[in-house]
Amino acid sequence: MTTQNSYCVILFKAVSYALKAEKILKQEGLPHKLIPVPKYISSDCGVCLRINVDTKDKIVALLSGKVDMEEIRELTE
Amino acid sequence: MTEIKIVDAKNLSCPQPVILAKQALESNEKVKVIVDNETALENVKRLGGKFGCDVSVEAKSGGIYEIQLIRPTDLNKDQEAFSPSCITVETKSGPFVIVVNEDKMGRGNDELGTVLIKAFCHTIAEQSQKPDVMIFYNTGVKLTIQNSDVLDDLKQLESEGVQILVCGTCLNYFEIKEKLAVGIVSNMYDIVETMSGAGRLFTP
Repeated sequence: MTTQNSYCVILFKAVSYALKAEKILKQEGLPHKLIPVPKYISSDCGVCLRINVDTKDKIVALLSGKVDMEEIRELTE
Repeated sequence: MTEIKIVDAKNLSCPQPVILAKQALESNEKVKVIVDNETALENVKRLGGKFGCDVSVEAKSGGIYEIQLIRPTDLNKDQEAFSPSCITVETKSGPFVIVVNEDKMGRGNDELGTVLIKAFCHTIAEQSQKPDVMIFYNTGVKLTIQNSDVLDDLKQLESEGVQILVCGTCLNYFEIKEKLAVGIVSNMYDIVETMSGAGRLFTP
């Protein structure tokens, strides 16, 4: 995934959920990246999924019901 | 008292920033110190620690740091007696080297280790202070080939001037030499030389 001005992060309650979601997105060939949760969101050592804004709805719909998502945030670099 | 006192200590050399910060802290509970080098940053942070402050640092562009210090209401004598000495942050004598000797970070759980190494590479690529060289050997070389999850981060680092050395013996052993997608194939001579000459070296 290339650097963009705006992107989304999906936050999960646990690392295992992030991994499960990553697996699903990989299977579907949807661009994503597992990154550490940005420090200003949480100082916990967590990971989240970074996705493109334009595929956000598609990804969220795909993951709904399969993986528990805690929060989806749109961020600017 | 809750107003923030701003101390602009840019273009000042040590111990000036610490002296100004200390003076400001003596009469204000909240102080923001702006410095333009790491030595001043470390020394002001140390001062903050001594005064029992909540210290938060924001790195701005151009090597500028804004350090916010919020101290407890009461000062004690020790703190007033703090002498703003100078500890110089060693300017690098050799390159800053990161050695990646596995395709995972840490031992114990491989699935977790895979998550951590991805997060590590992403974070290194976002740091303002990048390593000079990254060395990959043993299963670490698997991070540098096609379809690696950290390839974009490594390519970005390479494009920003980070030298990426990949162990040729290891690529050969895993039979993935033709899949190498970032960095240059290196050998034990270069690896040993780079490691011995490093000013700072760590392994994730």
